[in-house]
Amino acid sequence: MRQRSAAWLFAGPGLLWLLIFFAIPLVNQASVSLMSGDPEAGYTLTWAFSTYTDAISAYKPQFLRSFGYAGAATLIDLIIAFPLAYFIVFKAGRWRAFMLLLVVLPFFTSQVLRTVSWQLILSDSGFVVDRLKDIGLVASDGRVLATRTAVIAGIAYNFLPFMVLPLYVSLDKLDPRLVEAATDLYCSRVAAFRKVTLPLAIPGIFAGSLLCFIPACGDFINAALLGTSRQYMIGNVVQSKYLNVLDYPSAAALSFILMTLILVGIAIYGRLLGTKNLTEVAA
Amino acid sequence: MTERGRLESALERALTDDALSRRRVLGRGATLGLMVAGLAGCGIEGSASQTLASLQDEASSTRHPKAPIGDWTFSNWPLYIDKSVLKTFDKRYGGHVKYIEEINDNSQFFGKVRQQLAEGVPIGRDIVVLTDYMAAKWVRSGYVTPFDARNLPNKKHLVPNLRSVPYDPKRQFTLPWQSGAVGLGYDIRQTGGELKSFDVLFDPKYKGKISMLAEQYDSAGTVLLQQGKNPTKASVDDQLQAIEKLDKANQAGQFRRFTGNDYTTDLTKGNVAIALAYSGDLVQLQSDNKNLRFSYPDEGAMLFTDNMMLPAKVQHPYAAETMMNFVYEPKIAATICAYVNYISPVDGVRAILEKTNPDIASNELIFPPDEVRKKLYNYPNFSTAQEQTLNQAMAKVTGA
Repeated sequence: MRQRSAAWLFAGPGLLWLLIFFAIPLVNQASVSLMSGDPEAGYTLTWAFSTYTDAISAYKPQFLRSFGYAGAATLIDLIIAFPLAYFIVFKAGRWRAFMLLLVVLPFFTSQVLRTVSWQLILSDSGFVVDRLKDIGLVASDGRVLATRTAVIAGIAYNFLPFMVLPLYVSLDKLDPRLVEAATDLYCSRVAAFRKVTLPLAIPGIFAGSLLCFIPACGDFINAALLGTSRQYMIGNVVQSKYLNVLDYPSAAALSFILMTLILVGIAIYGRLLGTKNLTEVAA
Repeated sequence: MTERGRLESALERALTDDALSRRRVLGRGATLGLMVAGLAGCGIEGSASQTLASLQDEASSTRHPKAPIGDWTFSNWPLYIDKSVLKTFDKRYGGHVKYIEEINDNSQFFGKVRQQLAEGVPIGRDIVVLTDYMAAKWVRSGYVTPFDARNLPNKKHLVPNLRSVPYDPKRQFTLPWQSGAVGLGYDIRQTGGELKSFDVLFDPKYKGKISMLAEQYDSAGTVLLQQGKNPTKASVDDQLQAIEKLDKANQAGQFRRFTGNDYTTDLTKGNVAIALAYSGDLVQLQSDNKNLRFSYPDEGAMLFTDNMMLPAKVQHPYAAETMMNFVYEPKIAATICAYVNYISPVDGVRAILEKTNPDIASNELIFPPDEVRKKLYNYPNFSTAQEQTLNQAMAKVTGA
């Protein structure tokens, strides 16, 4: 009893914060999503569950795109971040701290600014696109900006540190002697990586994937700035519904659908990875 | 007793079991209450219309007595004033104007402050600058404070063609800031020649090299002009038909992007050859890129006016009206015009600029010749419900 009351006291500020800025808005938006009406007459609660089914059928492509783009970007991040984190942990030596700083350095500027600078870098007659044309990766009349490639690359870039940092933490905790022991016991280096390093890095992979995938699903800046309407994701729809069309119920319903789908997705992902201490990497 | 134990027992004394359990019950009750209140919440208030007549009634008795000017707030679009004007104002009238360049899009700005307006609380801004159709919506919804005409003697300098508009026949709630036209902005190297008609927007030759404005008043109005119709007199069906035409072209990949003001990057970087563009922007962009052109096409062009307004429950009306009066002094208006390069609503600006900035005074984008002026069309008038239908249709086209 004693321990519990103290614990509650310490958790108090956090819980209060969650209540005010998460629980109450969540309940409020749940109620908004069931309202009907229009901006002129106002919206009243009518338990209009049809908003949900309408939203799913009307914005299926945007949902699919959100998950597709976010998934692709997460995978790209994993492929880039794993060797990077591995290098920083095992090979960087005294440059470790500096290299970690380099990873987070771009994030000292705002995401919008970074994405706008990508717009300039990828512009049709810019240096990058010209070189890509030279080596034939882009058709001579093709473009990079305002395509699916640009949007996915932009998301991958914007969320890369969220993959690198958890991977760094979990690889850092890995005792190199375990790998050594594996090779001593006649494991090839590849097998040692597969049987020792990778399984021990799974909490980092899991945490990193979530930290990339979840915000990427709701992202709209990359699609808005690097894509066209044919690349818009569900975040763009929610933003437009809230601020331009003022259709609050649909916007709220779309947000809840996205949240549910993400939760289900994560549950399945967690099961597939099958680790019990997935959160230990945060410790 | 260990350190930790002592701390815990101290906490324990502070929160006896009894108190805690009561607290807990209260807590749960409160949470439940909040949930119910939240879920069954009283809904979201609408912007139900007030009649123009009742607002005009209110206007006749509006008094904003002279008061010392302290800190007050002016919200405007980016790059839409010569900032020296603000310094001059502060020096002459005292106080300090907090000038925020926060309006990037009419609908988004409205979306941001709508709830406060509907609830009848101040939005913390004393002047806002919004385009015709949005200004009309604010007047219709009673989200404006009428002017005290006695604080605005310089209103007499307003150009005749803007003195009366359908949403504000006597200019009691809105005062033009600048006007501009929606025409073709293009890179003459990419088009290989001057453009004279909106037909190019649908020319397969420029497939994927065109940016289109996302605002349906601008883009659909332009399509109607291209079809030889009068956009000011457009019906909802006309407008919907034009939006559908945009949809078809977009599906075929004709437009690279739908944009707000941000088409400027694509145009200067050469990502698009042609942009549906605002006249004033192009004057500014031309100084960076000599190949950019703006044309008033033969079919005519949409004319927009951005208007200064006092929001409902405005907190510093006297300061705001003093500023409005100040920018209607022809000399001040000329300073602003020389900087922003849009069409000034103030009479006598050209005469001043002929002496100080002859190149601006002779620029046809800023001072359109009469034969162009005749073909500039105002936005049509729609009810809030009609506008909602159109915005929704356009949102579908732009993919959101």
